[in-house]
Amino acid sequence: MDYIDPHIHMVSRTTDDYETLARMGCVAMSEPAFWAGFDRGSVESFRDYFRQLTEFEPKRAAQFGIKHYTWLCINAKEAENVSLSREVIAMIPEFLDASNVLGIGEIGLNKNTKNESTIFLEHVDLAARYNQQILIHTPHLEDKYQGTKMILDMLVSDARIERSRVLVDHVEEHTIQEVLDRGFWAGMTLYPITKCTPARAADMIERFGTERLMANSAGDWGPSKPTAIPDLIMELKRRGHSRDLIRKIVYENPCEFFSQSKNFKAPIAAP
Amino acid sequence: MSQDPKLPARSAEKVLSEEFFIARSKILDLAATLDRLERADGSLEALHQLKLLEQGMEILLDDQSDKAKRVQLLMSRPYDPDWRKNYGLH
Ligand SMILES: [Zn+2]
Repeated sequence: MDYIDPHIHMVSRTTDDYETLARMGCVAMSEPAFWAGFDRGSVESFRDYFRQLTEFEPKRAAQFGIKHYTWLCINAKEAENVSLSREVIAMIPEFLDASNVLGIGEIGLNKNTKNESTIFLEHVDLAARYNQQILIHTPHLEDKYQGTKMILDMLVSDARIERSRVLVDHVEEHTIQEVLDRGFWAGMTLYPITKCTPARAADMIERFGTERLMANSAGDWGPSKPTAIPDLIMELKRRGHSRDLIRKIVYENPCEFFSQSKNFKAPIAAP
Repeated sequence: MSQDPKLPARSAEKVLSEEFFIARSKILDLAATLDRLERADGSLEALHQLKLLEQGMEILLDDQSDKAKRVQLLMSRPYDPDWRKNYGLH
């Protein structure tokens, strides 16, 4: 089945992974800016990274017929450095007209600190001023519940932000309901260990329905599996769910959400 | 939470028969982990985490629903609605 991965970090993946994803039906992906595995030393390092995301990765994906989109920001981990963060935020507009940019992301919280919150608010302001969509990273493990609620507080306090243009990622059983009830999109991130599994994501689909809900693989530096969405497709099939339901989660919903960015063009997917 | 009308319902018997061996193996993993803990020397931090695991296992055995969400909340730092004021962020 053709699908879209709305959150996958291809800079940490090999070209062979692009080929495998294409073989498994991936027709498009979106790659939010994130941590490099180490803290970067200067704004120039981020400028180079944004060139990688807007110039090199789309070419690498195109070799396998995959359309590559991206989101720009300084991630929550490095947002602890407020002065560097402000330099990066001031530089981001240079890249907002690149043809594969969908918006600002993944912004969010990591350890839910004051500095992270300060920089989160400044990113939200940037998105509002440039009419950009937003992709949100919610913290992991014991920080997720607190951090998700703090993020929702900050988003709803800015009247310029349209909730239907914000995707809150890494939702789990204790955060999904509030995200959906407040009118945001929600993304479930599938991990092989310690976090959400394909089976638990299927449970959340069965409980909360398919409106404004997507799934992604993250493909980050920790143990993660870039082919996690095909695993979810298999799990939903095994439980007897219809092709229409699966397609809505893995293809139509990402298209509907991304279509609110002027740069997104829906790929031609097999029905 | 209302059910999406497009969702097929698996019967309890079907869910149990399909999930039994997976659940069985997870219980064994947990049992072996507890055995491993018992054989090792403990530290204070480990004891605090052990308490959380024990409370989590109590949730599995009680008669209330929403077990995954309740285990998640048990393992979560609390949320303070006044956080923004405490941080001096307006
Ligand atoms: Zn990410």
